[in-house]
Amino acid sequence: MAWSRKSAMFAALAVAMYLLGLVLRNQQLVTVAVVLLSFLTYAAFRTNHADVASSGRRLEDADSDSGVALQSIIAMRKLSSARVFEDGEIDVVLRIQNRSTLSKVLEVRDRVPEVMRIKKGANYVLMELGGRKETEISYTIEAPLRGFYTIGPVCVRVQDAFGLFHNEREIQLYDDFLVFPKMEDIKDALIKSRVPKIFTGAVNIRNPGEGTNFYNLREYIPGDPMKKVNWKAWARSGKMMVNEFERDAVSDIILIIDSRSVSETGPVSRNSLVYSTRAAASLAQYFLSRRDSVGLVTYGDEIVSVDRDTGKKQLYVILTKLAGAMAKGNTPLKVVTNRILPHINRGSPIIILSPLEDDPTIIDAVRDLRARNFDVTILSPSSLEFEFDARRLDRTGYEVLKTERDILISELRGLGANVMDWEPEMMLVTALAGARGF
Amino acid sequence: MGTRNDARNCISRSTRILGGEIIADDVKTDGASDTSHLYDGKTVRSSAPSRKKAAGRLKSSTDIPKDAIPEVHVPSWIESFFGGPIVSSMKFLPANRTVTNLQVSSAGILVLLTALTLLFTPVSGTAWFAIANLIGIPIIGGVIHILIMVIGAIGGAYGIFQRDQRALLVSYVAMLLVTLRFAGSKVEFGFNLLPEEEILQKVLLIAYAVFLVMYFELTNGIIRFSMLDTSIRTGEVYVMGEGKIIRQYYRAIGITPVVAGVVALLTLLINLIIPAMVGIFDSVQANRLRESVELTSVYGVALGTAMVFTVIAAAFAVNLPLRLQQMQEGRANK
Repeated sequence: MAWSRKSAMFAALAVAMYLLGLVLRNQQLVTVAVVLLSFLTYAAFRTNHADVASSGRRLEDADSDSGVALQSIIAMRKLSSARVFEDGEIDVVLRIQNRSTLSKVLEVRDRVPEVMRIKKGANYVLMELGGRKETEISYTIEAPLRGFYTIGPVCVRVQDAFGLFHNEREIQLYDDFLVFPKMEDIKDALIKSRVPKIFTGAVNIRNPGEGTNFYNLREYIPGDPMKKVNWKAWARSGKMMVNEFERDAVSDIILIIDSRSVSETGPVSRNSLVYSTRAAASLAQYFLSRRDSVGLVTYGDEIVSVDRDTGKKQLYVILTKLAGAMAKGNTPLKVVTNRILPHINRGSPIIILSPLEDDPTIIDAVRDLRARNFDVTILSPSSLEFEFDARRLDRTGYEVLKTERDILISELRGLGANVMDWEPEMMLVTALAGARGF
Repeated sequence: MGTRNDARNCISRSTRILGGEIIADDVKTDGASDTSHLYDGKTVRSSAPSRKKAAGRLKSSTDIPKDAIPEVHVPSWIESFFGGPIVSSMKFLPANRTVTNLQVSSAGILVLLTALTLLFTPVSGTAWFAIANLIGIPIIGGVIHILIMVIGAIGGAYGIFQRDQRALLVSYVAMLLVTLRFAGSKVEFGFNLLPEEEILQKVLLIAYAVFLVMYFELTNGIIRFSMLDTSIRTGEVYVMGEGKIIRQYYRAIGITPVVAGVVALLTLLINLIIPAMVGIFDSVQANRLRESVELTSVYGVALGTAMVFTVIAAAFAVNLPLRLQQMQEGRANK
């Protein structure tokens, strides 16, 4: 049983009046003190009476488990989905059962992560729950930021009618869900591999082969399918001509995300890491949809990588890693490139998403990559803009840092990397086009 | 959320870069379109954003993002001392029926309490009475005494109808302050119209004390239910079976003061209860006890309090409330 501030004040007042009454020999004071103490004692007696014993289970397990009959309050929860994209919604249904025969006035609060917004309904309910009855609390939460989240525990509180004392229990009922970074629809990333794989994919690589885009005309060779015959060209030239197509092929794409602690500079919802993860998710979806194999490397306090693969499953693997990317540590890019270079095919496109701050090895790392003929694209969400917008950076500081950043970007461009200083208002497609020189 | 080094650090770092050999003179970055040497002869239309441009653009959008500045409440020293806001600054929506009922009840109780305070609390024995006598103008003591009661009543009325917690706090303090007097172990009244009989006097005293506690509770209830109602209407909390919850409060407000009054009566009448119990065995000792000054004085009340609350403590020690609940549940299961 816990005391509220009100009951503590009442008790302190009662004791003070009682003692003062004895000192001043004032029966009036002593009487008031005794009434106040009796009032408190009776309220405490009633609160203790309303005991809360509780247990928590997931709704799916409710039928299979019957070993909780002695406990009086039971909570079960069901989520509409365990995986959503940023700004997505999750419907939560919390079922509360009172197994006791006595009716109870309960305050129930289902704890949701702080960043979540309650869109519909309420996660905080005050209710009178009759004996052997159950009720359902439904609410909808909106998930504005990527990450791994947990709903729970359920806090149940019973208090006396005057709010003097309460019994509180946390029902250890947890449900996890994942918020993926939101994705932007990309029509063309303008990135092609110089060393395509032999499997047929969606990228045309300017070599004749199986594909959809016209490449050139050549003379018919026995065995060519009749559907490839170009009848007009045959009529014009008098020779049997067939159409050749550009070979569509798959490539390896490597996405490198900078998740060092500096990448979280700026407001929670507008910082380099947020933009980088969204861009990586969009790019991964785009490349995987054209049957490329995509690998992901995130580096912060450690280097986490997802091996190259194709398909929808790979997309979810990448999205899960992106959802869990935390801004920590300060691993230099050079360490990352040294680690991954032996495992990547030469000439594969590498896309680096980094604010390009606080890392003296960036130039060396990019030089290494370029020297090995990798096609390097750097999208750099500028944390200067976030901080300047949030008025955490004064004009002078902003100008100085901007100059420094401009110099670094120029130098990286000088090494042959495609670099784009990605400002917050710019769409990803525009930033990509800018980086690739369109 | 990350932070950045201050501008001075940034300037020094930048100067180092600008002053060192990192500036690549051979990289031409003069014009936005003059980048063909970098991209295999291709002209790149985008260039590194110029500071001028950025500064110009930023002028038009320097609104602070919503999440950039967290709401911070800096507690005052008194709040820090008590560990939180003493008086809530919550703005209430117009009073609903429950709150209005509580306001009317509180006002009624306040009127009765003021009348009883006037009857029960003489000016004699108070600090202001002593000071007024000391300076030779005894009437000032009476004026201050009445003034404190008026402040208590008016502050209370204002607090009740305006739902102002500060005014209520002032009223509580005034109502308690007026009772602080040296009484010398004898119940005295402000007026001589009240009965001389001991039991009646004590019943009246208990009535006064109960009204005082009820006044505290009901006015507190006004604020609590106003907060609850505001939270319901703003969607912060959802209430199921509101009527039942309010009925339970009304029931408690009816029962608890009666129970508290009975316990207090038992405590105050200990000078009669103990002799009656002793009288079963020895009537002479019982008579002696009845005439004992200690038992009839405030120390008798202290003894009574100790005895009654020992019984209550024993009930808690054996976990009587839980046993009662189990008994009730067992009965319901049958």
